[in-house]
Amino acid sequence: MKKKKFYKLLSENEFVFLDGAMGTMLQAKGLETGGVPELLNLTKPEWLTEIHSAYVSAGSQLVYANTFGANRYKLAETGKSVAEIIPAAISNAKNAVGDKALVALDIGPIGQLLEPTGTLSFEEAYDIFREQIEAGKEADVVVFETMTDLYELKAAVLAAKENCDLPIICTMTFEQNMRTFTGCAISSMAITLEGLGVDAIGVNCSLGPRELEPVVAELSKWTTLPIVVKANAGLPDPVTNTYDITPEEFAESYVNLVKYGVKLVGGCCGTNPDFIRAVVNKLNGMKYTKPEVQLEAAVCTPAKTVEINQPRIIGERINPTGKKLFKEALKRGDIDYILNQAIQQIEAGADILDMNVGLPDIDEKEMMVRVVKAIQSVTDLPLQLDSTRPDVLEAALRIYNGKPIVNSVNGEEGSLEAILPLVKKYGAAVVGLTLDEGGIPKTADGRFAIAEKILDRAQKIGIPKRDVFIDCLTLTASAEQKAVMETINALHRVKTDLGLKTVLGVSNISFGLPNRELVNCNFLQMALTNGLDLPIINPNAALMTGAVRAYKLLTNIDENATEFIAAYAESSMTTSMSSTTAAPVQQKIGVSDLPTAIANGLKSEGAKITEELLKTHDTMDIVDNMLIPALDKAGAEFEQGKIFLPQLIMAANVAQAAFEVIKSHMSAGGETVSKGKVVLATVKGDIHDIGKNIVKVLLENYGFDVIDLGKDVPPETVVEAAVSHSVKLVGLSALMTTTLGAMEDTIKLLHEKNVPCKIVVGGAVLTPEYAEKIGADYYAKDAKETVDIAKKIYA
Amino acid sequence: MIINEINRTEAFRYLGIKGAPDNATVQLADECEKILLAEMAPKFCWTYAEISEYSNNSVKLSGYTLTLDGNDISAHLDGCIGVVLMCATLGNNIDKLLRQMQTQDMAKAVILDAMASAAIEQVCDEAEKEISARLENKHFTWRFSPGYGDFPIEVQKVFLTALNAQKVIGLCASQSGMLTPTKSVTAVIGVHEKSVQNKKHGCESCNMRDRCNYRKTGGTCQ
Repeated sequence: MKKKKFYKLLSENEFVFLDGAMGTMLQAKGLETGGVPELLNLTKPEWLTEIHSAYVSAGSQLVYANTFGANRYKLAETGKSVAEIIPAAISNAKNAVGDKALVALDIGPIGQLLEPTGTLSFEEAYDIFREQIEAGKEADVVVFETMTDLYELKAAVLAAKENCDLPIICTMTFEQNMRTFTGCAISSMAITLEGLGVDAIGVNCSLGPRELEPVVAELSKWTTLPIVVKANAGLPDPVTNTYDITPEEFAESYVNLVKYGVKLVGGCCGTNPDFIRAVVNKLNGMKYTKPEVQLEAAVCTPAKTVEINQPRIIGERINPTGKKLFKEALKRGDIDYILNQAIQQIEAGADILDMNVGLPDIDEKEMMVRVVKAIQSVTDLPLQLDSTRPDVLEAALRIYNGKPIVNSVNGEEGSLEAILPLVKKYGAAVVGLTLDEGGIPKTADGRFAIAEKILDRAQKIGIPKRDVFIDCLTLTASAEQKAVMETINALHRVKTDLGLKTVLGVSNISFGLPNRELVNCNFLQMALTNGLDLPIINPNAALMTGAVRAYKLLTNIDENATEFIAAYAESSMTTSMSSTTAAPVQQKIGVSDLPTAIANGLKSEGAKITEELLKTHDTMDIVDNMLIPALDKAGAEFEQGKIFLPQLIMAANVAQAAFEVIKSHMSAGGETVSKGKVVLATVKGDIHDIGKNIVKVLLENYGFDVIDLGKDVPPETVVEAAVSHSVKLVGLSALMTTTLGAMEDTIKLLHEKNVPCKIVVGGAVLTPEYAEKIGADYYAKDAKETVDIAKKIYA
Repeated sequence: MIINEINRTEAFRYLGIKGAPDNATVQLADECEKILLAEMAPKFCWTYAEISEYSNNSVKLSGYTLTLDGNDISAHLDGCIGVVLMCATLGNNIDKLLRQMQTQDMAKAVILDAMASAAIEQVCDEAEKEISARLENKHFTWRFSPGYGDFPIEVQKVFLTALNAQKVIGLCASQSGMLTPTKSVTAVIGVHEKSVQNKKHGCESCNMRDRCNYRKTGGTCQ
């Protein structure tokens, strides 16, 4: 119903005129800087009536109610609730405009940054928006504007979709570098929001209409939705707080924007009814130009859009199947291990990362959410969410930032019914496996038929064709040699006859054969030549990644061999460099023993020496008689001021490399090296965790197993971890005076629950006296001292 | 604003390095400086406000809801006609970079962290120069930030609102008053009509005075 009204407005007008600034108008009427504009809905309703009416008189057909900051965080100190302010604001607007214009529930950013940079979680953000949306149902449209964080905007859009049936307009704020403050690209905004099914998208604030032209031009390449522009009145002066262009200049600039498919136009900071009137007059008689854009397949994170317009490598390594160390890491909750797997693949050349954390004895859903958030906090590569469980996929789709791929749906009725609606709702792409109730068809025809069926069903519920990627399934050549060409032929037909993107796990082909890499590599080439877009491979296997790069070079996709040269010219240089330089260094300083490697911060030498030592020495002998004394020496020199923090950590890095070697050696034999477990956390509300992370590195290198709970950790989580891992030591860090309270609360709760552990605290604002006062057992002035304490406790 | 190099002396001082740093540290610092200069997106915003009411524990500003409370900030603004409220940030990208670096190379991460801290101070220095050029014939005190002395850190949220900082430079405070992005600064500069003895940034108003490593060895951080 509400949607109809909005679409009627769009279809009956060449352009839809929005209003201009609210804040500027309120300040002109006497609102103090820093005052809460939304309170005026209750105290000065007549001001709002006047402003809204003035805009309608100027030609606005859709006005924004005065609700921009009406959320529970910004209203916290006002004594007024969202439920009091928003309905009043909408009714003020409705009373003013009558049936001459529609009224939008206007929602701006919450006012706090979301995780991972801030402390506000996605789920909390959702709930804050939900409250606003429920209070604003009387509006005709919901607008999210001035957004800079795509993640926050996604929470907002989901809150709107799940709690009302209003049409949704989203505008974000871009800088001249074509990114938002949080680094979101225009392409990523467009494909994520179009996927989520909003009704119009665009830009507002930050710049004037002239400076926004390149932003609008770029946006028009990435969306088929109506485009919204609400520009500032030029740029502000910090002393006078005035903007620098006239209504006439403002309107003139809008004329240039029409060709990009701009449909809804208005003004932001510094504009007033004169600006709107000027735009209305200027655009009078002009025609709306719907952009003729053919959207291609693409997935993204906020900072990176990956177009599937050429072969893109999907890294397969984040998957516990057949990997003992990975399984152990998952059971321990060792997120760093998984992050390292991600980073290695990115460095090796992956474009997208497949992510599977399914293991029978862990909570897959909880782990999936944790790992997706962790990976997205340190990398920009889009993810392929891989699980057999729809509930796990949904949890991951919800909190994923950007547009991911879902792996996978297949031709079985149950799968189609469970997976496709999730893909549609969250605007993802999906991998369709060509199998069904009857198993994997033996022939290419059979697989093609299933691909057709999956496409048909996807399109029926509104998933665009470009978002369906088909996997024709690799069978093992040693077992089913005849089937190899069926896969290739099916792939070729799906690509050419259906026009779909194709995906294929490659490595299975050689199972049970000698010289697997040779087989894999040739099969990969055959598949690429027949139209494979998304090979799922181990990017760390240089030959496989190289095969894709060579293919792109030879097919003229990689023009001028730019990527190819970038990948190999330098690496062959560094290989030769390291092979020529490493040897003399070794001779020069005679690095043949672990202590020297540690003292000189030589990481790869440390690992190599450890490999050698393991042939002749017992693991505990290496740890106790070589590694730890060397670290002790570095620690002592640090205390004496002979070396400083970076050197201490470099020494620890070498020990870490040595430990990795020892651990993988022992994991094969089933022993363990652990000196004991320690729980570490940066307390609730605190996000400065670098000090805690230094402590972690050092503890690990002394052989302690660290359960790292991260930053902003609630007291309950600390207690839970201390109990479930039965640790003897918990380490807590806080940087700010404002978070010392949370440290005290955590200690109190550990005591209340009678957790039998000692507590060590550290951080810039702590003193030994304060540590004692809040009930800690130890105060550590630096990472070295924490290790000493841990050694004492576990002695 | 263009910053071509990072103040290493400061960065090394934050790391507790005394004397000349070793070669390995210098080499990492070279790498970090390159990355930092490429990735940081320094931004600042500011406003000038006249002091409308002054007492020894609170300063009110004309046209602003924000008040500056505490004995120390009042003492800092003694004799001033107005204040510059300013904030600056290196941007969200640096937080991401620091997270990345911590998973890959902790030694590099701590150096990068210290260099980023030095960089944001340089950004503030540059910003102050630009501000000073706009406010001719005025004289500035040093930058006094929330959290110094008894000037409460809890003021951050209102302070940032007064500068419209989220909209203008993407700077917010968390519930506990921490600035996000983390490599950011908010500060009050007192504005005098006449040149005054610029009071030294003293230890009296510093929260770290009891545990300051510089003081322990008889020095100061200035």
